Amino acid sequence: MLGEAEPQWLSEEVKTGTTIIAIQFNGGVVLGSDSRVSAGESVVNRVMNKLSPLHDKIYCALSGSAADAQTIAEMVNYQLDVHSMEIGEDPQVRSAATLVKNISYKYKEELSAHLIVAGWDRKEGGQVFATLKGLLTRQPFAVGGSGSSYVYGFVDAEYRKGMGKKECQQFVINTLSLAMNRDGSSGGVAYLVTIDEHGTEENVILGNDLPTFFDQ
Amino acid sequence: MSRGSNAGFDRHITIFSPEGRLYQVEYAFKAISQSGLTSVGVRGADSVVVVTQKKVPDKLLDSSTVTNMFHLTPRIGCVMTGHNADSRSQVHRARVEAGEWKYKFGYDITADVLCRRLADISQVYTQNAEMRPLGCCMILVAIDPQFGPVLYKCDPAGYYCGFRATAVGAKQTEANSYLEKKLKKKPELSHDRAVQLAISCLSSVLSLDFKPTELEVGVVTKDKPKFRTLTEAEVEVHLVAIAERE
Repeated sequence: MLGEAEPQWLSEEVKTGTTIIAIQFNGGVVLGSDSRVSAGESVVNRVMNKLSPLHDKIYCALSGSAADAQTIAEMVNYQLDVHSMEIGEDPQVRSAATLVKNISYKYKEELSAHLIVAGWDRKEGGQVFATLKGLLTRQPFAVGGSGSSYVYGFVDAEYRKGMGKKECQQFVINTLSLAMNRDGSSGGVAYLVTIDEHGTEENVILGNDLPTFFDQ
Repeated sequence: MSRGSNAGFDRHITIFSPEGRLYQVEYAFKAISQSGLTSVGVRGADSVVVVTQKKVPDKLLDSSTVTNMFHLTPRIGCVMTGHNADSRSQVHRARVEAGEWKYKFGYDITADVLCRRLADISQVYTQNAEMRPLGCCMILVAIDPQFGPVLYKCDPAGYYCGFRATAVGAKQTEANSYLEKKLKKKPELSHDRAVQLAISCLSSVLSLDFKPTELEVGVVTKDKPKFRTLTEAEVEVHLVAIAERE
């Protein structure tokens, strides 16, 4: 056929569609994300880990434009590296979140990414910060990405204060699974990162190990 | 032909003297000895050690805030000898350079590259009239992923080199001779022997029997490649071992 337009995925920006979530529990935080990266209607990467380390005990969850989000995470990782050497100890989660927020706010017109920053530090224990569009707010839990709209009801109803580590992990897996079922831009496998005083644990839950709901 | 054209400025800024010397750089070396401290670094078979004196001149000073050992990256440490303020400036620059390298190239900087970078920066100061060289000398230690334990030194002239052992400071000539003698037979130094050699070197050239509070010891070992400074208790263990051997 004459004059065939080029495929959509060549011209569409690579977005991380996404469902991301971070929850604080007594003694630490759990972060979770899906693994789908889309360019228009094409899935460019079906196994991308959207939980990026900023420091040993501070991670961030990426959403929005894949390149923008990765770049912010890498910049903050670099700044935290030097900062932690200068202060001679592990940086605070608040510092990491502030660095992310400052970049997001300064370049808010050019960037299109939302990072949720979560981690554990000695001063305040587990903390979750949302940095949407350049604001900085500490929350007991935060969800983000296109898939989050489908699960606001679920998290609002099911979240309880004082959950333990295993409960939190299960809560995150359930939330991700529900969102991945309904959101076209989220899917693949679920990545989990659990951070507490004793260390950082990374997990993958493969597609067929995800919990199933009424339709399966 | 070469007389008089410098009008005596060759001693004041970093331009060549008629004999081809850079007086300001030589004065910078003298500034290192001014602090009165000496530091020693020794490379063992599977570890590297740096030792420096800890002199707290004022009784009112909080000695826990006084240190000449610094982390540059989690795996690269250094001991600074000489002018305190210049030392901190160089340490800060090193940290930023290491951080930038990791950001730009995606992997941790190695000690030899970091040392070369700092030496290159120091060289610029020897060519610029508006900036003076720094009056401090840095000994870097690390466990290199390829080469194992490494010990590097960079000085105000912009010269840098890797060493098996080296000393810097007020008593560096005597300390270097001591180290040359002890390492002549190229012994395989275990971690403990390396620490004890470094401490004995300082003791011997300064004719001092050290207490653990008068020493700072920094180590990196193959089992624990992160740079750390020994606690007073650990230093005490080594001092006792040295005393028992004599």
